[in-house]
Amino acid sequence: MNQTQIFDGQPVLSFRSEHDRRSFLRSALLVGVGAGFVGYYAGDPTSASSANALGTPAAPSAKGDLEILNYALTLEYLESDFYKQGVDGGVLSGRELDLVTPISEHEAAHVTALTDTIKSLGGKPVASPKFQYPQGTFTNRTKFLTTASVFEELGVKAYHGQVTLIDSVDILAAAASIAGVESRHAAILADLTGGEPFPSPIEANLPMAAVLKAAKPFIA
Amino acid sequence: MQITRKNFIRGDVAAVPPGVAVGALNNRFRWAKAADFDSDVDVLNYALTLEYLEAEFYRQGNSAGLVSGKEMQYLDAVQSDEESHVATIMATVKKLGGQPVAAPAVDFGDAFSSREKYLTTSHVFENTGVQAYLGAAGFISDTAVLQAAAGIFGVEARHAAIVGNLLGLEPEGGVYMGATETPLSQAQVLDAVTPFLAGASAMGGDAAVTL
Repeated sequence: MNQTQIFDGQPVLSFRSEHDRRSFLRSALLVGVGAGFVGYYAGDPTSASSANALGTPAAPSAKGDLEILNYALTLEYLESDFYKQGVDGGVLSGRELDLVTPISEHEAAHVTALTDTIKSLGGKPVASPKFQYPQGTFTNRTKFLTTASVFEELGVKAYHGQVTLIDSVDILAAAASIAGVESRHAAILADLTGGEPFPSPIEANLPMAAVLKAAKPFIA
Repeated sequence: MQITRKNFIRGDVAAVPPGVAVGALNNRFRWAKAADFDSDVDVLNYALTLEYLEAEFYRQGNSAGLVSGKEMQYLDAVQSDEESHVATIMATVKKLGGQPVAAPAVDFGDAFSSREKYLTTSHVFENTGVQAYLGAAGFISDTAVLQAAAGIFGVEARHAAIVGNLLGLEPEGGVYMGATETPLSQAQVLDAVTPFLAGASAMGGDAAVTL
């Protein structure tokens, strides 16, 4: 009989390891719900050391939404350009190429979707910056995939850093629906590069300034 | 009228806007289900039931001796994530002054009869979880809850992709589900998970009413 009342039907939980317990305590810290909570946690939300670094973002607004969309567009330009060169560069083959080619297509689709959305809201899509990459990025498999992994983790944190700042519920839905795909990419690239596909039980997030600082070396 | 998170949550929105290009991004967002949830506690208890299911699923599956090596490591991490989600959501419901729903009785059928069945069922759970969170996101009013729910949603997407890849599925449609994730309404999610609930009363009865 497979029928089991899980946790004996009780809202209790035991932790299988000390690591799990600590991981939970950090997650619980993140969810600092309640009256007056207006900020968000910068950095890794499961890192106790950064959990006190509350941002003080501007209140959500339509103007703010356009800024967020243009920020996302800039990151998607970077990813799209990066993957196009990487896939065209021919350093991948077999299953790896099969896994990365759709990522390239997704990033291009994100650029188009964000551009159209900004226009439909009466905004002006930012132009694509010119990008630069360290030598060998597209001729060395490991270099390419490692950089891709960094970009994906950064992209995930970037989207999650804006979640509470978005005003329009349809833009929130759209941004979240993109963010989930970036999470899939991040996990697959971690797997391909021997990294950690599940670095945290809850996605980390970064504020705009920190993300742009990380992306800056790639902008020519 | 521009729909903002605030007026959407309060139910002030009389009509759904055309949302031209946003529609192109995500034309299946379930506006019509505006009555799915009444409060953050409702959303969280809905998520909690799914997380209970997932946590128990991996607890049983990882004990069944079906996987080893890197697969075992990955699924062990997934189990830890789901357990962490259960604990985090329960704590959050309590902080909000709500009562966490009890864990449902479950029946995973023959999901643990082989590695492939285990992973295939896992893949369904994870993708359903992704779609459930996305479908519920617009109903959350507390920014900290929204941040956490979005953060959990992303991790479920990671799980889904990795399990799809362990199964060797086609990248598009198996590892990735398109350029954007697709939300599901509460009713659709409950339809998907009902086969794993032991007895119609498990979620159709009192415990589920608050969902």
